Amino acid sequence: MKEYFYFFSSITTAMRGEAVLKNNGYRAFVFRDGTINTHGCGYIIKVKGEEEKITTLLQKAGVRFSEVREV
Amino acid sequence: MLYFDNAATTYPKPFEVRKAVNSSFVYYGANPGRSGHSLAMDTAREVFKCREKAAKLFGCGFPENVIFTKNCTEAINLVIMSIVPGGHCVISDLEHNSVLRPLYDLKTRGEADFSVAKVAEGDTDSTLMSFKNAIKKNTKLIAVTGASNVFGIKTPVRELAALAHEHGAFFMLDAAQTAGTEKYNMEKDNIDFICAPGHKGLLGPMGTGILVAKNPELLRPILFGGTGTYSLEAKQPDTIPEGLESGTINVPGICGLSAGISRVMREGEEKIAEREMKIAQFIYSELAKMKNVTLFTKYPRPKTHAPVISFVIGDLTGEKTAELLSKRGVATRGGFHCAALAHKKFATETRGTCRISVGPMNTFADAAKLVKIIYSVSENIN
Repeated sequence: MKEYFYFFSSITTAMRGEAVLKNNGYRAFVFRDGTINTHGCGYIIKVKGEEEKITTLLQKAGVRFSEVREV
Repeated sequence: MLYFDNAATTYPKPFEVRKAVNSSFVYYGANPGRSGHSLAMDTAREVFKCREKAAKLFGCGFPENVIFTKNCTEAINLVIMSIVPGGHCVISDLEHNSVLRPLYDLKTRGEADFSVAKVAEGDTDSTLMSFKNAIKKNTKLIAVTGASNVFGIKTPVRELAALAHEHGAFFMLDAAQTAGTEKYNMEKDNIDFICAPGHKGLLGPMGTGILVAKNPELLRPILFGGTGTYSLEAKQPDTIPEGLESGTINVPGICGLSAGISRVMREGEEKIAEREMKIAQFIYSELAKMKNVTLFTKYPRPKTHAPVISFVIGDLTGEKTAELLSKRGVATRGGFHCAALAHKKFATETRGTCRISVGPMNTFADAAKLVKIIYSVSENIN
C-alpha cells in the first residue's frame, strides 16, 4: 500500500484531517517538516492507503489541503 | 469574600480549570503552530481539543470556525471591523462599550454608521419593531448582547437573527453574559458570529476569548504578524483560524478554558442557569422589601433576564454603595459598568448603579449573607 503526504497551511485543518482519517480507520499523523514541504513552513499528514479514497474522504469532510504527494 | 461580581469574571474558578492551567506549564509548555518537535505538537493538539469543544458547545461545525482572542472585546472588534465598514449597523440600547466604541470610531472616521434600537423588557414584539425601524438599505450587521451586563435584560436573539437575515444583514451575538448559561446552536439559531469571553460563564481564565464564526472567511485580521506558516511572505496568510490569531496564543488560558467548557458541557447550560436564576430571584425578592433600595427591572425570570441585578441605596452613588459593601467583604461592581447606553436607557448616568451578578459558584447561603449586609447598609445610610 502506498503512503502519501497531504500538505496544509493550517495546523487546525491538518489536525482535523488527521481526526477524520483516524475515525475512518486510517493510520495518519500530523507533523511539520520544512525539508519535505517546499512551500515553506506548514503541516503534513502522512497516511497510508488509496489516494483517491483518502482524498475523497478529506474533501467530503471539508478538509482543505494544498497538495498531495506520494512518499 | 462574598463574590457577586461574576459579570466581570467568574470566581473562583473550578479546581479542574486551575489544574489545567497549572499542568499546561509542564505538559503543554511549547509554542503551538510554530515548531515541529513533540512538545509543540502535543501543545497544538491540546489547543485543537479546545477548538473542538467550543465548536460543539456552540453548534458551529468545525474547529476552524473557532478563533481564539484575548477577550470578548477583541472578538467583537474583529467582527465589527470586518463586516461594518462602508455600511450600517444596528445595535441595542443595552450594549456594552465593546460594541459601541468600535462603531463610534468607525462613524467618527466616516467609515460607517450605526443606529440604536430600543429593547423593551420582556416584550419581543416591541423590541423587534424597534430593530426593524432602525434597519436601513445598507445595514450590514445587527449586533446585540445576549443580556445586559448592567440590568440583566435579555434580548430576543433568535428572532433578531432571523430579522437580520430577512434584510440581508449578518447577525452577531455578544454572549458575554450568556455563554455558559444559554444553549446556543449557530446553525439552528441562524447566528453568524458568537463572541464570548472565556473567563465568565465558560469558567476559563482571564485573557481568553472566543469568536465562533459560521463563515470565518468574511473576517479580516485586526492583528498582523506571525502565524507559523508562509514565513517568507510579507502578506498576512488567509489561513483560518491562524491568520486571525497572529502572535503566540494564550496556551495556559486555552487549557483552562478547555477544562471550563468541559465542565459547562457536563453540567449543562440549563441546569447552571436554573440554579443561578433561583439565587438571583431570591436576592431580588429580598431587595424589593427594603425601603431604601431601588431596583430597576422587573422580577427576573429565566426567559427574559440573566442573573444580574442593579440597584441603588438611598441617594448613594453606585460606586459608593459598592465601596460600602466591599468594606463588609462583598464583591460587587458599582458605577457605569462600561455600558454608557444601558445607563442612558435607565437614566442612571449621574449616579450609576451597584451591580450584583450571580455566578456558578454562588450558593443560597452566600445570597442570604449578601442580603443581610445590604439591608444593614441600607438601614444605616443616614
